[in-house]
Amino acid sequence: MKYSCKTLCQTAAVLGVSLASIYAGQVQAADSGPIKIGLIADLTGNAALSGRHKVNGAKLAVEQVNAHGGVSGRKLQLVVEDDRGSNQAGVSAYQKLASDTEIKVIIGSIRSTIVKATLPYITRYKIPTMIGGTNPGLTHEGNQWVFRFRPNDDYASKVMAKYSTNQMHAKKVAILYDTDAFGSAGNRLLQKALKADGAKVVSDQGYTTGTKDYTSYLTNIKSSGADTLETYMTDSEDEGQMLKQFSRMGLNMKFIGSASTATAVTIQLAGNAANGKYAVTGFVNSGNEAAKQFSAAYKKKYNDDADLYSAWVYDAVNVVAKVIGKDGNSTQKIQQGLRHDVKGYHGVIGVYDFDKKGDGLHGLNVVKIENGQVKVVKYVNFAKQQ
Amino acid sequence: MQEFIQLTVAGLAIGSIYALVALGFVLIYTTVDVVNFAQGDFAMIGAYFMVTCVLSWGLPWWLAFVISVVLAAIAGVVFQLLIYQPVKNRPRSFVPILIATVGASIFIEQAYLIMYGAVPYQVPGMFSVQTVSLGGITLYSQYLAIIVITAALVVLLSWFLEKTKTGLQMQATAQDPDTAKLMGIHTAWIAALVFAISAGTGGLAGILVAPVFNVSISMGSSIALKAFAAAVVGGFSSVRGSIIGGLIIGLVETYGATYISGSYRDAFAFIVLIVFLVFRPYGLFGEKTSDKV
Amino acid sequence: MIKQFLKFSPLMLFFAVVPFFLPEGRAGSYYLTLMILSGAYAIAALGMTVLLGYAGQVSLAQAAFFGIGSYAFSILAVKYGQDFWLSLFGAVVIALIFGALIGLLVLRLRTHYLALVTIGFQIITNLVLNNWDFTGGSDGISGIPRPSLFGIDFMSDQNFYWLTLVFITLAAFVVYRLRYSLLGSTLLALREDEIAASTSGISVVAAKILAFSVCAGLAGLGGAFYASGSMYISPNVYTFSQSVTIFAMVLIGGQESIVGTILGAALLIFLPEMLRFLHDYYIAVYGLAVVVIILFMPKGVYGSLASGAEWGWQKLFAQRQTEIPTASTVQQAPPEKAAVRSDEVILKISDLHKYFGGVKAVQGVDITIRRGDVVVLIGPNGSGKTTVLNTMSGIYKATRGEISFCGHDIVNKSAHQISRLGMSRTFQNIRLFAELSVIENVAIGFYPKATVGVVGTLLLRPKGLREDRQAEEKAKQTLLLLGLDRFHEKAKNLSYGEQRIVEIARAIISDPEILLLDEPVAGMNREEKIRLSGILRTISGMGITILLIEHDMSFVSEVSTYLYVMDYGRLISEGVAREVLKDPAVIQAYLGGEIEDA
Repeated sequence: MKYSCKTLCQTAAVLGVSLASIYAGQVQAADSGPIKIGLIADLTGNAALSGRHKVNGAKLAVEQVNAHGGVSGRKLQLVVEDDRGSNQAGVSAYQKLASDTEIKVIIGSIRSTIVKATLPYITRYKIPTMIGGTNPGLTHEGNQWVFRFRPNDDYASKVMAKYSTNQMHAKKVAILYDTDAFGSAGNRLLQKALKADGAKVVSDQGYTTGTKDYTSYLTNIKSSGADTLETYMTDSEDEGQMLKQFSRMGLNMKFIGSASTATAVTIQLAGNAANGKYAVTGFVNSGNEAAKQFSAAYKKKYNDDADLYSAWVYDAVNVVAKVIGKDGNSTQKIQQGLRHDVKGYHGVIGVYDFDKKGDGLHGLNVVKIENGQVKVVKYVNFAKQQ
Repeated sequence: MQEFIQLTVAGLAIGSIYALVALGFVLIYTTVDVVNFAQGDFAMIGAYFMVTCVLSWGLPWWLAFVISVVLAAIAGVVFQLLIYQPVKNRPRSFVPILIATVGASIFIEQAYLIMYGAVPYQVPGMFSVQTVSLGGITLYSQYLAIIVITAALVVLLSWFLEKTKTGLQMQATAQDPDTAKLMGIHTAWIAALVFAISAGTGGLAGILVAPVFNVSISMGSSIALKAFAAAVVGGFSSVRGSIIGGLIIGLVETYGATYISGSYRDAFAFIVLIVFLVFRPYGLFGEKTSDKV
Repeated sequence: MIKQFLKFSPLMLFFAVVPFFLPEGRAGSYYLTLMILSGAYAIAALGMTVLLGYAGQVSLAQAAFFGIGSYAFSILAVKYGQDFWLSLFGAVVIALIFGALIGLLVLRLRTHYLALVTIGFQIITNLVLNNWDFTGGSDGISGIPRPSLFGIDFMSDQNFYWLTLVFITLAAFVVYRLRYSLLGSTLLALREDEIAASTSGISVVAAKILAFSVCAGLAGLGGAFYASGSMYISPNVYTFSQSVTIFAMVLIGGQESIVGTILGAALLIFLPEMLRFLHDYYIAVYGLAVVVIILFMPKGVYGSLASGAEWGWQKLFAQRQTEIPTASTVQQAPPEKAAVRSDEVILKISDLHKYFGGVKAVQGVDITIRRGDVVVLIGPNGSGKTTVLNTMSGIYKATRGEISFCGHDIVNKSAHQISRLGMSRTFQNIRLFAELSVIENVAIGFYPKATVGVVGTLLLRPKGLREDRQAEEKAKQTLLLLGLDRFHEKAKNLSYGEQRIVEIARAIISDPEILLLDEPVAGMNREEKIRLSGILRTISGMGITILLIEHDMSFVSEVSTYLYVMDYGRLISEGVAREVLKDPAVIQAYLGGEIEDA
């Protein structure tokens, strides 16, 4: 029995210390302080690049709102937690933010799997959560608290298929996709859309995120006799890498890719190889007046080009600031406000009209990269078609 | 045919990178009996030194190359002093060293993320010309450079290990550290030297592959596991073995991704490895050593 | 057994009341989720305690087994609509089968080779989970249920946490029971010395498969709890780096300690969360913390805390409890078998050959041993004596020739089978299980007598408990018989002579028919030699036939009843000691004509 007493003392000491540290972290809340907005981002790990842009975009928006007097006389404050690019840490980050009762709205992940992992907690906590994950299913599960600030892949794949078959005259298509949730869902949707538009998929290959050498994939694409390559790649680094090798191998088929093709990082890494490529994307630096202003301010503040990772959070912060200003700062009010009061808001990505499911954007740009610049070729709006 | 040659060159080039890092594994393992899971980080460190030398200081390529390799080697010695020395005498030291090197690897990668940011760096290759045409076949010049430099380094290293006094001392330490000590060989110095050479070759691999892979914190870990597999396929005991192991893994991976499945590209190296280990547990060139009874 | 296991109850009780002290609302839910997560990982890490801590096998595939458990559970529960408990059972069984298969695959591999195959398995498993439609591909599986039982709804995090705690306790019990059972001692033997384990009648194959299956089964259980706890799974959870994390949990907590492992799991889950206030630097600090713990706390966090607490306890209360050693009177246990010399041949070697490549170590040796004999095999160094012994005991496979032992042909049998037929041995350079106590070392020799399997051991079949006790009793008796009473000392801390005695005790505890001793008095002083010849007489008196290799001629002539002399892999003489030692051929061969001590 003496032994167990000792064990008890030891473990009690250990656990006591850890419990104490939990309580030490709890700071008493002040009521009339700043309005807090939670944000989850990949700040460490392999996807840290997109995480930086995300935080920068949000910070810029917060700064601008505050410079214009804040919201109802209160300043906005950003609370950022890292999700390490993983589901587990994503959930922890979400919960950590949610446990701060002053946070009434959270900007969630751009990665669909992380959003999926947090969905049960969003349902449970009933905190309006603004997401960038483009997997169509995320807003289709009847969850009333999720709001998407990017056009979903249902739209994107249809635009890509339609444009490539009609305007680019694609007959035989090769698809290259990331086997992560974004790419593999995109691949499925794209195949379906291409079939509907009468093109034939002659090669369909998946690669793992972070692949450096694309010789194998490009060799197969070349020998498949495809006239068009369509990609659904997640990371800009991979896209840039692939494009470089694409041109180095002397491939000259037509090319249209998902949003990552038209990011600043891809264009920087791929250099000349990016020129002449088409992409389907929501955000374009020069897409509209708001985007131009945002890109200029972003460039000025960070000496870096704004991209889709920074754009959607910039819109999210601005939209939610408007909603809070109009309806007040409570989870219920923000949820109702986002659902009903955001009609025709002109953001940097496009025009926001939240539908019943929680999708805010219903249009996409087809762009072409020329001399390292992204030029809008066509804007496709689904809102009008519906 | 043209495609096949392109694939083979790419496979050999990637394989050479695996081989260089594998060489680092093997040198450390045979001399001081440690498997260093942070080996891939030496490649990353070398590549980042190159970034600093070329992009920040504007040094010419060759000078930057030499400085970066030397700095990577020094980093290897520091690593040796901080991580290997304190743990080496524990019972079953394989296990704590494994985790210590993994922890070190997490730390190093995050430290570089903080220092250099997340945007991948592009560094110039050895040649300003990107592609070379040989009889209608377009090849990437840096891939050829990687293959040639690896071959040269292997010759140099074999000469060093087999013909120089220091090299022979290293081999003696590898075979029997206690006797080597009695013979007056300064084994601590040898251990430091081994880590220096191993980190140096790792850094070299990183520098060579930097124009192809771009320099980012994830570049090391993607090489390390494959290199580890290459070392085992080659028998974990010789320079020759690790080179051939690396080339096998590089080729199998490239052919496999082309002709079997791109999605399972990362699996091929390990399928080869498992088949090897189950049917030839001591690798291609490894000697079968049975327990002394 | 149960009573000893109760020492964990304060810890478990403490964990059980933690939810009451957590803050209200979402903050509490944040910590509870982390605790459920820690719990799921703790169960998987306990599996690693068995595999890494006990059996000494390195595996970096625990996240793969964890994932197999998660997916098996989720697919059964979501796709096939099975009940929670059935799905849970399915998860454990499927993971266990995979574990057994991997165990079978890696039988011949050790340390880094083993690590690599497991890494390969890990990476392949992750790719399959990611690319296979059946597992939901990279989208994973959502809507994973939590159970309800007796009207308790485990949707509530608190209730689910307590359920997890119950299963941690169960897992801890499995691990604890294995540690202190004869069956589990085979794992420790495997870790310490595979050859000595196999000559003690332990099937190395079975032990490895046992270790891998238990490890994977617990990972599967943990994985199922992870899936049910987080209600959504996707392949990016079950990565190589997660395997490394689980591995680190075991090591950081304290490799062999159950409490340490559980704390290690909690530490590695909570540490990055607690460090979040460091913002950009927190993962770097986390990596550094791992290194620092490994470098400065060799026994893990718990090990260091425990010894710190121990030290403090001693300082504070200064009630140094001095354990009074048991009376060191050496009991002369009555011999169990009558010392009978008879003409019954129990071992017959005919025309034995053993070649190593071109080296012909043994070429045509014939030896006959009768029950009750003390046969000595002598010969100059390198004459092939030890090779004969190793071939007899199954460590080497004979190139040619026959060995029959008690009516069995044993040439192609493995070491543990031969041992189980009643042949025990010791080694020239003592092979003890260095990190185990004296009593554990000896008790392992009793393992071949155990009749209770895995299920029986874990379900606490009384027979198994009885056998465990019996082994301990018998080990004490045997040790006392040979005059050693430092039961709880680690084997590596004993003197050379004492180690020799422990090795002999391990060999005779199973009442073998024959005992093979390889140079037992080498390196002993005069007194120890005298003591050992007494011991040999005792053993012989117990009815155990003895074959020994020896150089010390005075010792040889004192104990032997029959003598064989080898040179250059062949027999050159045989007979009773007095005559053989006068044989000119022997004198010629042996040390160039002079006989030591003769």
